Amino acid sequence: MSTTALAARQLDKTFGEGPTEVHAVHGVDLEIQAGEVVLIMGPSGSGKTTLLSMLGAMLRPTSGEIVVDGNNITVIPESRLPKLRATTFGFVFQDFNLLGALTALENVEFAINLGGVTGRHARKRAEELLTRLGLADRLSFRPDQLSGGEKQRVAIARALANQPPVILADEPTANLDSKIGHDIARLLRRIATEDKRAVVMVSHDIRLKDVADRILWLEDGAFRELHTMATDPICGMSVDPKSAPHLQIDGEIVYFCSTACRDEYATAGSNGTSHRPA
Amino acid sequence: MVPVARRILLTDRRRALLGVAGVAVALVMALTLDGVFAGTTRQVSHYIDTSPADVFVSQEGVRTIHMALSVVPVAVVDQIRELPGVAWAEPILFSSDALRVPAGRRPSYVIGFPRGGRGGPQTLVEGREPGTGEMVIDDSAAALDIALGDEVEVMGRTWRVSGLTTGMTSIVNTSVYVTFDDLATVLGWPDTASYILIGSSGDPEAVAASIEAAVLGVSTQTRQRFSAEERSVVKEMSTDLLNIMSLAAFLVGLAVIGLVLYAAVLSRLRDIGVMKALGLGRLGVSRLVLTQALWTVVTALALAVAVTFGIGAIVAALAPDIDVVVEAASLLRAGVGAVLVAGVGVIIPLIKVWRVDPATVFRRTS
Repeated sequence: MSTTALAARQLDKTFGEGPTEVHAVHGVDLEIQAGEVVLIMGPSGSGKTTLLSMLGAMLRPTSGEIVVDGNNITVIPESRLPKLRATTFGFVFQDFNLLGALTALENVEFAINLGGVTGRHARKRAEELLTRLGLADRLSFRPDQLSGGEKQRVAIARALANQPPVILADEPTANLDSKIGHDIARLLRRIATEDKRAVVMVSHDIRLKDVADRILWLEDGAFRELHTMATDPICGMSVDPKSAPHLQIDGEIVYFCSTACRDEYATAGSNGTSHRPA
Repeated sequence: MVPVARRILLTDRRRALLGVAGVAVALVMALTLDGVFAGTTRQVSHYIDTSPADVFVSQEGVRTIHMALSVVPVAVVDQIRELPGVAWAEPILFSSDALRVPAGRRPSYVIGFPRGGRGGPQTLVEGREPGTGEMVIDDSAAALDIALGDEVEVMGRTWRVSGLTTGMTSIVNTSVYVTFDDLATVLGWPDTASYILIGSSGDPEAVAASIEAAVLGVSTQTRQRFSAEERSVVKEMSTDLLNIMSLAAFLVGLAVIGLVLYAAVLSRLRDIGVMKALGLGRLGVSRLVLTQALWTVVTALALAVAVTFGIGAIVAALAPDIDVVVEAASLLRAGVGAVLVAGVGVIIPLIKVWRVDPATVFRRTS
């Protein structure tokens, strides 16, 4: 039987007021099961980061609720949110965000400390996590001594520090080359499956589709049905036909993520080169 | 617990070192000034502290030698000698002037004591006690190119140096000894003493009380009390200066610690954002900044104490007149001041870190 790890209901976030009011996220409903990997995609400025910040208890929604493990975290007092973040969520960032002054082991141990475990137990658990992720020989290395892939694996070990039910990953493969990015994606998949954790990934990386159970498209702060989306033939991005720049060629409408892609497509056509995306 | 505060502070060792050095310099200023002052006050009461007298008799109401004028009739000396518990009584005269020698001038106490009696130099390192027209000066007067047999002008007349004593020169002044009769003649005070030194055969407190009860117009103090009063009057005269210097040191330390911590915080805002995102609460980030501040000031204090002792040793070798005495009270004051500096210096950095939004972790660094 599947268990709901994270649910968001009618989530809205508005910044500013009056003429400067911006609806960053509105009417978002989301339910993620334990062991499920959900990939949230969308163009820049679509509200992905705002949504992730709210799901991770770093930003309060204007309205709506977020329920994690049966608790509505939007009503929890500000003073209790840090502890909640430490024990309920694991974060993986595009820039890794490891603490440069600490070793790989200390980065993970520090996160365990924040969960309330200290001393030998914390150190032992940190060692186990890093060993599990293939970093047993990198425990005493500082972040600047690690490769991009190793840094991200340390970050994932840190995210698992307090055995959180939910992992939130922001562009986890963006700063990695293709092979390492794929390894990280598979690692996150494995963690979701083996540890029964919900993994929410926000990314532009279409390769992550391979490991996702579900793909959600966020645009203008709201989820769109993915089956109604068109694919930009230049960059491969999914785009909403209702608002995307387009061209009509031989009676067929082609949609683009931007006017730049549209112009490139048109130029390539007039030069007699292929319109197929690279 | 992972020592995050210390690790972050020591990541940029140069900045950490500069911070420690900056605060240490401020503390050295305060400690050295305190040390010089403590040394000076100790030197100021040296004559009293090394005197053979157990009790000092002065004009009624006069409690010190420094910044005071005491006049007591010599006739009361015999009266005092008759009192129970009094082993001996000797009058001394006291004045002040500047020694004039070819090498310059030097402020000096001039002490007149009975020939062959008590109240004169406690140690003679060279020569003999003064006779008529002679004086004993401190050996540090060598800095003024004075030697035995030389002539020195003080109190408007010339004296021949008959002996050298020691320990009677401070950063402020020196002391010279002449005969009681010579000084009485120069001052034009016949049958008058400034103070009467008393040796007691019993409890000095009781002897002091009995003298005060029996002799009209005099005050009495034990040596310890008289010495404390002497140091106290010097301290009171210098309190404002000391406070200003201490405040200056405090402000320098405050500025340094504030700037160091603020710079450390500014350069680590993203790390702080990450820590907050991972679950470090307000108390945790406050502890982080406070720990860094305490590390800086405690290290600076230890360094400052060591440097001040070093300065004391160097000063003692190069300028024996200046005595740098680091007292426990001075260390305590510096310690409290350092902690206070840390406490005030962290306020702005604390406000800065409290305001760091954990969601900044989602912003790209490039």
